[in-house]
Amino acid sequence: MIRSRYRLALLTTVLLATVSGLVAQNSASADDPVLRAMLAEMQRSKSQLKLADVQAPYYLDYRLMDVDLYMAEAAFGAVRTSLRTRVRMLRIVVRVGDYKQDSYYGPGEGVVDVGPLDDDETGLRHQLWLGTDRAYKAASEALTAKQSELKKYSVDQQVDDFAHASPVQWVTPLTRLDFFPEPWLATLEEASGLYKSDPQVQSLNASLRFSVTNRYFVNSEGAVVRTADSSYQVFIGGYTQAADGMRLDRSHGYQVRQMKDLPTKTQVLSRTRELLTSLKELREAPVSEEEYRGPVLLSADAAAGVMSELVGPNLLGNRPMLGQNARTTGDWANNYKSRVLPDFLSVLDDPTLSTFGGHSLLGNYEVDDEGVKASRVSLIEKGQLVSYLLSRAPIRDFPNSNGHGRASVTGPPTSSLGNLIVQSSDALSDDELKKKLVDACKQRNLPYGYFVGTLGPRLTPRLLYRISTKDGHEELVRGAVFGDLDTRALRNNVVAAGKEFDSEDRLDPIPQSVVSPALLFDELEVKRGDVAKQKLPEYPPPAGTE
Amino acid sequence: MRRAGRPSSTLWLKSVVPTADLRSPIPRSYYRGTLGWLDLSTFPMKTLLRGLSVGLALAFCSPSAVRGIDRTPARVSGDVLLSTMQRELQRAQTNLGQLNPAPYFTSYSVYDEEGTVVVAGLGSLLNSTQFHRRMGEVTMRVGSAALDNTHQESRPSGMSSGLVPLQDDPDAAARVLWQLTYQEYRQAAQTYLNVKTAAAVRTQEEDTSADFAEAKPEVHLDYAMPAFHLDRKVWEDRVRRYSSNFRKYPEIYSSAVMVIGQKTQMRFVSTAGAQLATPGTLIRLMIEAETRADDGMELLRVETFQADTPDGLPSEAEIAARIDKMASDLKALRAAPTAEPFDGPALLSGRAAAVFFHEVLGHRLEGHRQRGDQEGQTFTKKINQQVLPQFLSVIDDPTQRSLNGMDLGGWYRYDDEGVRAQRVDVIKDGILRNFLMSRMPITGFAQSNGHGRAQAGLMATGRQGNLIVSSTHTAKDSEMRQKLIDEIKKQGKPYGLYFEDIEGGFTLTTRSLPQSFQILPVLVWKVYPDGRPDELVRGVDIVGTPLAALNRIEITGEKTEVFNGVCGAESGSVPVSAAAPAMLFSEMEVQKRAHSRVRPPILPPPTWDKSAAVGLRPSDFGHLASGSSIGGQQ
Repeated sequence: MIRSRYRLALLTTVLLATVSGLVAQNSASADDPVLRAMLAEMQRSKSQLKLADVQAPYYLDYRLMDVDLYMAEAAFGAVRTSLRTRVRMLRIVVRVGDYKQDSYYGPGEGVVDVGPLDDDETGLRHQLWLGTDRAYKAASEALTAKQSELKKYSVDQQVDDFAHASPVQWVTPLTRLDFFPEPWLATLEEASGLYKSDPQVQSLNASLRFSVTNRYFVNSEGAVVRTADSSYQVFIGGYTQAADGMRLDRSHGYQVRQMKDLPTKTQVLSRTRELLTSLKELREAPVSEEEYRGPVLLSADAAAGVMSELVGPNLLGNRPMLGQNARTTGDWANNYKSRVLPDFLSVLDDPTLSTFGGHSLLGNYEVDDEGVKASRVSLIEKGQLVSYLLSRAPIRDFPNSNGHGRASVTGPPTSSLGNLIVQSSDALSDDELKKKLVDACKQRNLPYGYFVGTLGPRLTPRLLYRISTKDGHEELVRGAVFGDLDTRALRNNVVAAGKEFDSEDRLDPIPQSVVSPALLFDELEVKRGDVAKQKLPEYPPPAGTE
Repeated sequence: MRRAGRPSSTLWLKSVVPTADLRSPIPRSYYRGTLGWLDLSTFPMKTLLRGLSVGLALAFCSPSAVRGIDRTPARVSGDVLLSTMQRELQRAQTNLGQLNPAPYFTSYSVYDEEGTVVVAGLGSLLNSTQFHRRMGEVTMRVGSAALDNTHQESRPSGMSSGLVPLQDDPDAAARVLWQLTYQEYRQAAQTYLNVKTAAAVRTQEEDTSADFAEAKPEVHLDYAMPAFHLDRKVWEDRVRRYSSNFRKYPEIYSSAVMVIGQKTQMRFVSTAGAQLATPGTLIRLMIEAETRADDGMELLRVETFQADTPDGLPSEAEIAARIDKMASDLKALRAAPTAEPFDGPALLSGRAAAVFFHEVLGHRLEGHRQRGDQEGQTFTKKINQQVLPQFLSVIDDPTQRSLNGMDLGGWYRYDDEGVRAQRVDVIKDGILRNFLMSRMPITGFAQSNGHGRAQAGLMATGRQGNLIVSSTHTAKDSEMRQKLIDEIKKQGKPYGLYFEDIEGGFTLTTRSLPQSFQILPVLVWKVYPDGRPDELVRGVDIVGTPLAALNRIEITGEKTEVFNGVCGAESGSVPVSAAAPAMLFSEMEVQKRAHSRVRPPILPPPTWDKSAAVGLRPSDFGHLASGSSIGGQQ
């Protein structure tokens, strides 16, 4: 795995703890003009930046993300976009005040600018200089604005504005984006050209996005971090319309951290053929009945989607709006130490893992975007919520970061998922789960139960099967949505979980994976979606030249 | 007259019509194209590339740089894309023609845009992008020419656009066009029903003109793209070198140099039988520098050079000299006093007058502004009336490639509605004769005169091309300064103003807001009648109402100056030119410019910080100590 290789090749040496000595004395940073410029300007700002009659900053940080990106897209067998670009984005935060109360508020949350692409200290220091100046002035005004805003509220329990953290020095080798686009363009064209096998497919696209990001971070507390990550995505998507006009979508994404983990052309093509077949099957499938209430089995794939949507966001330790007394902004702000899932389920987040159960994980990192070392956090133990994912913005009862402050290319660091893993203490095999589904349906005299193969956006089933109670026969249906799939259902209605895992992987805006086993619900509502059906195209597609 | 008649005058016009923000940050479309995952909605890219944004918009969005090139047309045989467009258009017409309501006109355009953008600051590259895209547009009109789906505010319903394959793959291109076509039909048909109902329910409009003008279907196939290659690596180094000139000037806080090279091959077919293919090129070099006065006023200088090929750009020595001039201008401006509100005689340099006419007059002559319910219609009912002093005439001539040896940026052969560009005598001897017409008719003007322009993905409206002001009442340019002094004395004013250079401007033409304009001059001099030297001032905005301002022109210079720029309005960014001689105004109103009160940077620029190590105070830096706001107390 790319990450473990870094760990072996780690260049990090002990950087001098005193910031004043950092500039020239560390070999790793001394070799890197970007770090050198950041440290030099940090040093200058830290020691000299002050307006008369205004407090000097108590904290500063500089972040630079160097992104090298290649994107391509093909539709109907021909490339429409092929673009390589590189950008360096700077983010500068200056905090005035102290850890208890500071200027991180509104315009005081930092400034963003474009950085020079060349490893040129003069240019970079110049941008840092301007940005720091701007950020400091904004911070000074923001602190006053925040203090006057806070006067409007009475706050029950004072929570610090910024967590203390020990400065990490962590410098790993740089990464490059290195590949030949032509074979990939050919793959995209060939895959998207498969639409010709089915005249009723209205759209078929194949796209890719390869990117490499070298991240630099220094702060006034002495953190010096340089890490690199790469991500490779290949995506296929298409849609068709059933005879009644219902739009049917299928897509598949490959998202990996190393180029060698990408699928071969043959794999992409066969996957595309499968998508086309399933579009055809969906087109011919019956529409689901108006309403069903009963047992539903979610595949590990579908369950990972549900966990990502319903559990992940509620585990983030995001601070509420200024003056509000809640612990976080999520649904589980007040559920600390209460039961949020059935007691056979536990959830943890571990950014230090690069694989789990054979799945390559995207949320793997050593140091977060606030310069805090990543750590494994147990979040839900036997169904009970015991912790949140935390950045350096403390929340009630949680004064310290647990290394989950992560950021998009230009955004502020916020508490984010890394690798969220859902595990069951009482795992069943797929066959056992299916049998349990059928048994539950029999008990309630239902002719069939539902099995969800995969989900689309907004937790809408894309592959949904009726499982006959009588003989276990599977029948694909279309047009259904869930009526009441929410956190309450997760807590009260999940009755069993599987042994096998699947993952929901996201690269945007922050790479993360959510791993879950299959889940059996004893009751869920599945109903017919009431989306307006579009008309079929007014006239047939072009015949094509072949 | 000092500093009159600068040899090369190029900047860009920033026009906002009716109310958009002139100084928009980098267009999101640019980042969508390149970095779709960057959310730049809150991206505070303050100053560095602010000005460059206009150029980027051009590079990525504007097909209107398309210009025919005077060469023997290449052999047309086998334009696969054009024949695919033709075939698919035919199919659409046959199939959609049977429906109710049916389209009565459909056209396909594809803009094949290929180019390079390179940006550098202080000797270091900030961005370097090579792009190639084909933007396809399906324009459809449902109903009848008298009333169709594009009526009034429903105009956007006339177009759907999307990317088409980069290679000539007929099957893929046909599929994409088919998709765009049926989507466009749905939008157009639905909108047409709404338009029809609205027409029945509402009172009659002031202007009862039809929605679409007949136009001769032009057939002209030209693929003679000038053979030049904008070598990216070469230009990266060049732009680095150019931008490193700014390292000499600690008082310039932000600076950038950008070059764009673009080739555009446009293809257009319509159900009326038009068939066009025209090549075009655009090379543009922009230099921007910004500083801040001690009172917080932002001071900006921009220089733009435009040419048909890279060889047409100025030499390195010329650019270095221009950068030196920008830096010394900004240095002088930082130290200059702010101007007081003033109402009195003023002299505008040729390029300042050109911008003035573009904003104050040009936008109000755009045909579609004469019929909207929301439009102020300053000139609508003034046809055949005197609107300018008798000695002034104004034409807009997109067919003219150069003027006095200077390239004109608003040059094209066919507009974006497939109509041949025409010279239009809009004002003859002070009398309003015509408007700049797209295929949207207005009372008394039923036909397009080849001024329907837009950037890819937007419906065309009447726009300016090359707006050229000429005069029969002139004085030698060297005498204009004396004329100003004479006028100051005549009016008994303590001083007059000379506007040497203008950054841009905007104008409001809607009814809901005052009919006004604002011009943003950057180099303004107080000229005293008593022989004192001219005094540079800053923070001046020219304000006023159009009709009053235009009739206070007393006399003009002889030499016409050209201002090449990019103009933004409802139909997007299009390259334009404005040309005018220097002009003496008997009265010009200026107001103080609202400005930021942010102090200049606290610390000196890093490379000028002699304290490199620790301990020294910023106040030790003499070159910035002229500013009083440096407060390095710790």
